[in-house]
Amino acid sequence: MLPELGEFALWISLPISIWGVVLAFLGGRWGRGDLVLSAERSVHAVLFLLAVASAGIIAAFLGDRFEYWYVSNYSSRNLETYFKVSGLWAGQRGSLVFWALNVAFFSSIAVWTNRARNRELMLWVSGTLLAVLAFFIVITLFITPPFERLPFTPQDGRGLNPQLQNYWMTIHPPTLYLGFTAFTVPFAFAIGALLSGRLDARWIQITRKWVLTSWFFLTLGIVFGMRWAYEELGWGGYWFWDPVENASLLPWIVATAFLHSVMIQESRGMLKVWNMVLVCLTFIMTIFATFLTRSGLIESVHSFALSLEIAYAFLGFMAVISIICLVLIVWRLPELRSERQFESFLSRESAFLLNNLVLLGAGFAVLWGTMFPLLTEGLTGSKVAVGPPFFNQVNIPIGLILLALMGIGPVIAWRRASARNLKKNFMIPIGVGLLTAGILAALGMRHVYALLTFAIGAFVLWVIVTEFWKGTRARARIEGEGAPTAFFHLIRRNRRRWGGYIVHVGVVVMFMGFAGAAFDREVRQSLEPGESVSIQSAFGHEYTLTYEGISTQRGQNMWQWIALMSVERDGRFIGPMTTERRFYEAPPQPMTEVGIRSTFYEDLYVILATLDDRVGIGNEPDFQRATFQVMVNPLVPWIWYGGLVIAIGTLIGLWPGGPVQSQRPVAGVTKPAARRPGNEPEPQPAGVG
Amino acid sequence: MSGLLAGVGLALLVVAWILHPLVTGRSAPMHRDDDELTDVQHRKRIALLALRDVEYDHHAGKLDEADYLAMKRKISAEALSALDEEERALSPGSPESLDVEAEIRALRATLREGAVCQECGNPNAAGSRFCGACGAALARARASG
Repeated sequence: MLPELGEFALWISLPISIWGVVLAFLGGRWGRGDLVLSAERSVHAVLFLLAVASAGIIAAFLGDRFEYWYVSNYSSRNLETYFKVSGLWAGQRGSLVFWALNVAFFSSIAVWTNRARNRELMLWVSGTLLAVLAFFIVITLFITPPFERLPFTPQDGRGLNPQLQNYWMTIHPPTLYLGFTAFTVPFAFAIGALLSGRLDARWIQITRKWVLTSWFFLTLGIVFGMRWAYEELGWGGYWFWDPVENASLLPWIVATAFLHSVMIQESRGMLKVWNMVLVCLTFIMTIFATFLTRSGLIESVHSFALSLEIAYAFLGFMAVISIICLVLIVWRLPELRSERQFESFLSRESAFLLNNLVLLGAGFAVLWGTMFPLLTEGLTGSKVAVGPPFFNQVNIPIGLILLALMGIGPVIAWRRASARNLKKNFMIPIGVGLLTAGILAALGMRHVYALLTFAIGAFVLWVIVTEFWKGTRARARIEGEGAPTAFFHLIRRNRRRWGGYIVHVGVVVMFMGFAGAAFDREVRQSLEPGESVSIQSAFGHEYTLTYEGISTQRGQNMWQWIALMSVERDGRFIGPMTTERRFYEAPPQPMTEVGIRSTFYEDLYVILATLDDRVGIGNEPDFQRATFQVMVNPLVPWIWYGGLVIAIGTLIGLWPGGPVQSQRPVAGVTKPAARRPGNEPEPQPAGVG
Repeated sequence: MSGLLAGVGLALLVVAWILHPLVTGRSAPMHRDDDELTDVQHRKRIALLALRDVEYDHHAGKLDEADYLAMKRKISAEALSALDEEERALSPGSPESLDVEAEIRALRATLREGAVCQECGNPNAAGSRFCGACGAALARARASG
């Protein structure tokens, strides 16, 4: 019954969302609170209906309802239960409902939390949110219907793509979707600000946490995707500049630019037009990401089947949004003038602006490289592939400039810095960077980009640690606190600033992890049971892997050939390791499961490349020759540690509540001179608090 | 059949809930809250934030003494002009305006005397020894800046 109910709910959600759009805008125009309330209730109603629709899809998967086209193409009777649940986002049809559900979820939270606040903006915000929802619902109903029935009911489904039969499947797509869809809220507030004319800092303050939330999930989603690729795709890497990987990177890049430039608007009243453009562009990029993935226009490991209807629908949607944004921004241009001018090129404001320009440069390079095959195909008829060499060549230098800016920004004063002070403040951090480069070069490192990454990374870390130290010292001195308490209070009182620095530390660690790829080692060898293969890591460890044999197992939906290796490091046995070949039954497809053994600074990565002796498949010990690809990937674990640090830093920035005011009574204290508006976040000191 | 009935029931419930405000006349609030910042207050806030940044940058050795003093003068003038505007915006005589006038007088004195808290940025009346907002010792903070 639930799938039928879900289908019904999906159909009702369309008129409700359109009703809401009309009422929100009419209510705003006529000043009718009852219409606005009805529109706001529509947002919650759409969330409820989409939740019922999603539950219907999941129920169809769990109940093996193969009469539905979607279920029969993405599931089979022997599929594990949790993959049936994740069937909701396994294919185009379900994932668009899931996307709409996420948009509705965030929209509902935004409308609920602002039910008695920011009303001038909310009149337009609800309408915008519902319009976006209506678009996705139209697509799911008329182009990719998840509840479409086959003329017959097959005995079994075709099964889920084996690459998706991995636990990351239940984690990576939802996280990324949360990131993409959460950005609808800041976009809606930007449109609300433009329509209502409330272009002061209000909308920026409201959306700050939303942008950070979206950025948090996008970052996590991207890192989870890298981890998935590393574990599952079996080529020893984590990023291939695949079009869909790039598509997820684009909104992340623009959102990162926005997160930085928005601080200039908050504290200086500048860059208002720029920030509007960035919000609109980030939202358009989230739509672009889903367009790239779903149109199937560009070949990728992620892409769904080619669908021109989807392509045109998304292109049209992007065009409409772009035109609306452009018209509104031009209309409000006189009110978006900066309140101040840049006072000096040598200032933190300039560093922020440079960060924005470099980020957008990186974004453009990624976009160009991603779209180039499609453009050449359109113009010349033949597809020209743009591979990792192009992206690395362009983006590594850009990444290094961004890395350097993370160290330069905090040292430059706001408004105007003097050359003398810069020299004084930069001497030691630059010295630390040079010293790092010198030591690494002396140890034999010759890779220029890797040397630069470590040198600049050390420079940035020194600057950030110094900032923390200075802040803690000042606080400890003023408040008479011990260093640990002062450090804790320091972060607590200005979470965004210090959380941001922690994020930067995570980025540095991650970049160092990327640089490790310059020192990957690899050997490929065919072995009989009992034979060994050796490989030396960049850190000088000698790994010896002895092939013990293969065992054959029958899984729920597959056959597994599991090769057992015993591993020695520098002559000492450190444990066993397995790597597998699998053959899935539905759909019939081979897969590789890599073996990974991590230490703090390097990964031993083993792939069972081929089973050379087919007879060995039957557990015959004499016929088990197999070829193994063994790699040692230095510093890859640092990418995941970096991701963790970034997540912690972002959560600190996101933690609810403004800066905490000390409550202790102090003798001789005067009455607070400034009146504090109730729900207004207290102006935060950029300094020690 | 039961699916259809459940669907119709669901649809009726949702539609009733959405139409309820139109029938009963229940209304969503339409105007800004009293506690939202006005444009002038926002400009005042920006000026005070800038003052804080300059204080910290000077304190952390990122700004020269001469630059620091020049910038502090300039930003203080910006803050004062925002304060003047705020004062003009309020009708004289109301309890709120009296309250704000007192605040503005205190702020003016603070900006001229330079008793902005190093720790939290709260502008304190001239002669205060401790910050009224966070309790930090003002004299020591100023001495160290």
